[in-house]
Amino acid sequence: MVQIPVQTLHRDPQLFYWILIPITVVMVLTGVLRHYASVLMATAPKKQDVKAMREQRFLGRGVTLRTNHHVLSQKAFDVRRETLTAGYESGAYLKEPEKKGQPPANPLSDPSAMDGMMGMMKNNMAMIIPNTLIMSWINAFFSGYVIMKLPFPITIKFKSMLQAGVQTKDMDPRWMSSISWYFLCIFGLQFVYVFLLGSDNAASQVAQQMQQQQMPNPMGGPGQDPDKQFKAEAENLAVVEHYSVLDDVEERLLAGIKS
Amino acid sequence: MAPSLLQPQGHLSPAETLKLAQQAPDILRRNPKAISASPLLSLFSAPETADLWTIYENLLLSCLRTGDDESAHHCLERLVLRFGDNNERLMAFKGLVKEAEASNHNELLAVLKEYEDILEDNQANIPIAKRRVALFRSMGKTPEAITALIGLLEFSPTDAEAWSELADLYLSQGLYSQAIHALEEVLVVTPNAWNMHARLGEVSLMAANVSTEGFPQKHLAESLKRFCRSIELCEDYLRGYYGLKKVTDKLLSEPVKLKKQTEGEGFSLPQKETIEKLNQAATKKLAEIVRRHGAQEPLWQGYNADEIVAAKALLDSSASNVVR
Repeated sequence: MVQIPVQTLHRDPQLFYWILIPITVVMVLTGVLRHYASVLMATAPKKQDVKAMREQRFLGRGVTLRTNHHVLSQKAFDVRRETLTAGYESGAYLKEPEKKGQPPANPLSDPSAMDGMMGMMKNNMAMIIPNTLIMSWINAFFSGYVIMKLPFPITIKFKSMLQAGVQTKDMDPRWMSSISWYFLCIFGLQFVYVFLLGSDNAASQVAQQMQQQQMPNPMGGPGQDPDKQFKAEAENLAVVEHYSVLDDVEERLLAGIKS
Repeated sequence: MAPSLLQPQGHLSPAETLKLAQQAPDILRRNPKAISASPLLSLFSAPETADLWTIYENLLLSCLRTGDDESAHHCLERLVLRFGDNNERLMAFKGLVKEAEASNHNELLAVLKEYEDILEDNQANIPIAKRRVALFRSMGKTPEAITALIGLLEFSPTDAEAWSELADLYLSQGLYSQAIHALEEVLVVTPNAWNMHARLGEVSLMAANVSTEGFPQKHLAESLKRFCRSIELCEDYLRGYYGLKKVTDKLLSEPVKLKKQTEGEGFSLPQKETIEKLNQAATKKLAEIVRRHGAQEPLWQGYNADEIVAAKALLDSSASNVVR
């Protein structure tokens, strides 16, 4: 059996101190900075005015009535259904009753929707700008270096991950380039941020991206016409087939007690 | 269950509140005055938790109840330091402290004026709107309180707290059908709240007791069913069994003329045998609760002592009826 000779590269040990540590420190500091920048730039959640709240809550009331109709007696439910449906259809619960029937305004021209978009833009900017800067900084100064050797063997598939920027085909994948260290820092520093800034920090972009994906469209979707929502809810209410949980409750109870 | 500062305080007895309020100096000393947002300091000091602010809030309430105004002010100060002057919840707390310290009617009126100014500024400030209702109520102006509450519900119709307060106010005025309506709204929002089911049963029973003309049986049937539902949701619920026994006793002692009910007019009463069975079951369960509570069984001590006494009295009275 032939032992594959261990690759040795002679590199200046100073490389380690002057590349690895600066990149790490810069990455941590950018994360901290990004956190504070986004805290500063965060727009306070906009207060709802009475009309908007009324519109939203009356819609919610229709939904709760539809889902929990079974706690009411037939008569009580009918009365509520009639009132709500009448209100929905006449547009009495709308924020701007006089605008009923008109097409919804362009969300781009609506200043309140604009605010939300600006907030998102700011967040994205806070992520993109520092990343571009650092990436180009690293590219300009450190590209092409191999900075360290991992202390454990690793398969060939990791080559592209660990040796970005170093096009040497036969090099052992255990060698690692500076750009790769940068990428590792992006994804691996989250726990450092949690330790430094608390668990709900805005430093890590991975977490932010996830949050953005999960976030439903704010304010029930701009561009959705509340009048149409009301009409739809009125229809939903109309088709509810009422039963009451109080029908035969005493028989159920007696059976339950006996068993 | 030992009282805890992390839970709502409404149901605590004065003694328990006092015990909580006495922890105030200790808690205030143990926690720093202001929580720093700097990353370096947070490494070395205790981390900020959401619990801390709940504790401050509840401490504030119990201190006000026990007259420890100084600690209450400290709590409020720290909350304001953290959340700012314009937090709606804190505005309500500030008003609450002022109400508690007001010594005469005029000062209360001044607080009320303040609330109205705030509301004029921002009508959607729900905590302040609720404080205003509470202040009206504690000043004895029930009609104003009802009007203010209806105004609040006009734009926030899914607020269970407000609906149940409204029910209570209507009940205090003897307006039973309005109270029942409000309680039904509470149930629409919180369909599985067994205490609200039982409460609705109680109010229906009261309505049946006073309604002289017409149809008490509609209310009685509703009341019976509500109590059954409440027990179904929470077995061993004393108030549910108590009410069930009350209403079945009433139904058995004075058999209502079973008029033919028109369809869709509420619920119809169950058969007489069913009522009897329900009555027996309720009696049995109440007796069991009273016995096991009295025997100091560890899992049966959660009941309110007054409710146990009332249940015992009810059992005794019905027992003497049987003997006679």
